Amino acid sequence: MSEWAVRVNHVSKKFRLYHERNQTLKSAILRGKASRHEDFWALRDVTFEVKKGQTHGLIGSNGSGKSTLLKCLAKIYWPTSGDIEYRGRMASLLEVGSGFHLELSGRENIYLNGSILGMSKKEIDRKFDEIVDFSGVERFLDQPVKNYSSGMYVRLGFSIAINVDPDILVVDEVLSVGDEEFQRKSFKKFTELKAEGTTIVLVTHTMPVVKEICDTATWINQGALIAVGNAADVVDQYQASIT
Amino acid sequence: MSYLAEIWRSRELLQNLTNREVRGKYRRTALGQLWSLANPIAAIVIYTFIFSFIFRLPAQVGDPSGLNNYALWLVCGLLPWLFFNRVLTLGTDALVANAGLIQKVYFPRIVLPLSLTNATFFTWILEMGVLALALSLLGAFVLPWVPLVAVFMAVFALFSVGLAMIFSIVNVYFRDLAYLLTIVLQFWFYLTPILYPVDLVVTQSERLGGLAGTSVTLMDIYTLNPVQGFIEIFRNLLYDNRMPEGLTVLVALGWTIAALVGGLWMYASKEKQLAELL
Repeated sequence: MSEWAVRVNHVSKKFRLYHERNQTLKSAILRGKASRHEDFWALRDVTFEVKKGQTHGLIGSNGSGKSTLLKCLAKIYWPTSGDIEYRGRMASLLEVGSGFHLELSGRENIYLNGSILGMSKKEIDRKFDEIVDFSGVERFLDQPVKNYSSGMYVRLGFSIAINVDPDILVVDEVLSVGDEEFQRKSFKKFTELKAEGTTIVLVTHTMPVVKEICDTATWINQGALIAVGNAADVVDQYQASIT
Repeated sequence: MSYLAEIWRSRELLQNLTNREVRGKYRRTALGQLWSLANPIAAIVIYTFIFSFIFRLPAQVGDPSGLNNYALWLVCGLLPWLFFNRVLTLGTDALVANAGLIQKVYFPRIVLPLSLTNATFFTWILEMGVLALALSLLGAFVLPWVPLVAVFMAVFALFSVGLAMIFSIVNVYFRDLAYLLTIVLQFWFYLTPILYPVDLVVTQSERLGGLAGTSVTLMDIYTLNPVQGFIEIFRNLLYDNRMPEGLTVLVALGWTIAALVGGLWMYASKEKQLAELL
């Protein structure tokens, strides 16, 4: 059980804060250079690892850099220096329903969205019933998704994403999707995934959730790693620091 | 090389995104896919009326096909151009229009311009099919040339997508490009021998001789336009029913490789930064 699934090695991420963002040709030609900017380090030398099958929480105040870290983990941002290693297939769940085509039906969107998230057609065929079942939109499957209520929309998006069956799942605060009944269902699904040995990394502001479902946690503040270890301990340290 | 392998791995996604474009486009319209033929037909009617009827442009006789029909001659050049125009216009906007997706999910970004081109290519095949039918009915012996036409359609599509790939990345840095492009494409259209035969330019070029005291002629500058060669190839195959000149083909292939390498290189080197640039 001590085998690692995700390893974050000395990851730093630099953003450029533009004073004058020259996104027009005119300004580029007039000034003769593309832009004036200042560097901002959103992450500085963050190192930790998540063991296989564990659920790991990323906590910290707003603007601490945890979302940047999550986007690096999801391969949306690339670290300026350092690297992230994975053992197994990674899938991310940062926003539900991204990539839905409003004019297409729910059925067509399941295939479209599934393949955007990295599933093959065979996998989607196999999981199709489960996805539909979980989302509870069965009756509206052949309607264009633009006619869906916002609840149906996110439930369908969430059901696709949760059925990707990755080895490593990277999640932003999406546990708060849908009504209470659906939330309970998603929560149960998470526990199932966990029981099946999926490694989960998640960002949340709800400390009781971290204590309840996370095994380990990382606390980040102003881009630097403050503490990493047992979830309950890290949460206690974090809460002590803000009160 | 590993980048090409990654594109290959995402072929299913590419197919699904292409379907999204094709199916989503004409949803809730009564005529559906037939609408894609409406634009070219309107253009043919207008240009034929103006250039063949009003301006009385000399008729172009196909050699050796013997065809003598301005409208058909026009379409053989117009359809490739319309395809090129759509790929470039849509492709340039491909990344900026999908910013939301790029910032939320990881997938090889290159599938965005590729899927747009695929969808546009699909429409182009329909148009060319109708054209081949019309040519056959009006006396050209097109059938034996269909395989070669298909090959050059694929080559022209690769050229177009290569250029669209380069433009889509540049458009992320300079959003002006999308607007500038519509003007450039207008100039480009009239600087390509689509409405008029290239002979008229040759005559004018010979009359002028070397420009500004140099040995450079108007024709030398005119032939720098890569699309011009492609148009000539499509006309040779479809309207004249003969092999295009070897040099024209080589130049076209050269441009295609340059555009593709340029586009792939842009994506391979910039792809990872796209999420934060958008």
